[in-house]
Amino acid sequence: MSSLKVFLDVEACTGHGRCYSLAPAVFSSDDLGHCEILLAEPPEELRESTRRAVATCPEGALRIEETA
Amino acid sequence: MSSALEVNVSTGEANPYTPSVAADPIPFYSALRTHCPVATMEGMQGAGVYIISRYEDVRWALKHPEIFSSDLVAVDIGQDRPLIPLQIDPPEHAKYRRVIDPTLGPHEMAPLEDEIRIRVNEVIDQFAADGQVDAHAQFSVPLPGKVFLQMTGLPLDDLDLLLNWKDEIIRPGGGLLPPEEATPRRRAAGADLYGYFADVLRDRAENPGTDLLSRFFGTEVDGREMSNDEMLDICYLFILGGLDTVTSTLDCSLAYLAQNPEYRAALVQDPSRIPAAVEELLRFHTPVMQILRVIKEPTELHGVKMNTGDTVLLMLGAADTDPSEFGETAEEYCIDREVNRHLAFGGGPHRCLGSHLARLELRVALEEWHRRIPDYRITEGFELAYSPGIREVEKLPLEFMPLEFMPLEFMPGE
Repeated sequence: MSSLKVFLDVEACTGHGRCYSLAPAVFSSDDLGHCEILLAEPPEELRESTRRAVATCPEGALRIEETA
Repeated sequence: MSSALEVNVSTGEANPYTPSVAADPIPFYSALRTHCPVATMEGMQGAGVYIISRYEDVRWALKHPEIFSSDLVAVDIGQDRPLIPLQIDPPEHAKYRRVIDPTLGPHEMAPLEDEIRIRVNEVIDQFAADGQVDAHAQFSVPLPGKVFLQMTGLPLDDLDLLLNWKDEIIRPGGGLLPPEEATPRRRAAGADLYGYFADVLRDRAENPGTDLLSRFFGTEVDGREMSNDEMLDICYLFILGGLDTVTSTLDCSLAYLAQNPEYRAALVQDPSRIPAAVEELLRFHTPVMQILRVIKEPTELHGVKMNTGDTVLLMLGAADTDPSEFGETAEEYCIDREVNRHLAFGGGPHRCLGSHLARLELRVALEEWHRRIPDYRITEGFELAYSPGIREVEKLPLEFMPLEFMPLEFMPGE
């Protein structure tokens, strides 16, 4: 079964908030506006929005590992 | 005249502070990125003033405050001390952001949406029946000011006072005065602004409320209570950073949508596209064209050596239209851009403190404007003029079908 896993570099995140705007089921915000991962392994139906959110991070703080 | 002519390819000199660049910066940005990725400020060769324009270079600089410092007290904006946290470097910077960011974070902003929607409608009510408006003076300017006054619990009557000080500091006399005239006007407005907030803070210390300013009291920075001067230095930044930037983004957005009916129609038909449109408008127009840094550690980029004390303009607008990041549509407005890593709010540790509020204001403003005024155009024959640096439209005359008065109780969501 295919899998997708999300990783956050907390040092690199500066709170642009693009991730939790684009994929609110997968990412959330702490009080500072920094990213918190809600679903580290999002299900199939959330993967497209997750990929887009990860690609949109201006700091490159998010990373994905996918297996086919 | 193409703004590309403001880049002198043979000498590597450029000048972003011209009306032709502000009006149509894309050819200027392109010439910079292509021919002189580290340009020098025109007429200042040898003075150590550089312009960095490529996306990866700007992003790298933003992420390295130990080289590209924000310790810019030498830049006169009428201040007595560094603005907090804008002009403070890490690690001190993080101590302030830890305290201030939550007050402007997404958790705090979401409940403001309904109030902001009411403010937007109040502003539109003022001219809705006229069928014409100077959208700069009557919409883009008052809106962020009113939202700020509401958040800080300050009287609405003080709006003109605060806007006047802000303009006297950012662009005294319209921004065309020589330094010997501009500096004393900036200092005078700065002194008035400090004085105003000193009185406000004194009052809030005695009669605390739930507003943004009252919340400073009792907050701890680095294990001690925030001082009065520190609170003043934050207030000063709120006025300088929070008002002009949203004004200029609204100006650029409405001016652009007025001239591009197909993009406007897409937002009217499907308002759920507005959040993505806000991001693309921010990217394509990048209203804050550049931000300043000062070199703290000697460094070299594209063969250009920059020494301690040199000044660097990070050309955010050029980064945001760089094809190496945004592909072949980088220099176009793209209604369904898939990935938009724009730097309109800067990046790195100094990422715009007010970005969550700004995004909320911009979205709600465009939603309500297009709900009530779906069709509008610039008055025929009127030539728009943009101010350099922060791209405000000096006058934005729009014509539309006059609306009948729409009482607030009929608003959706009320």
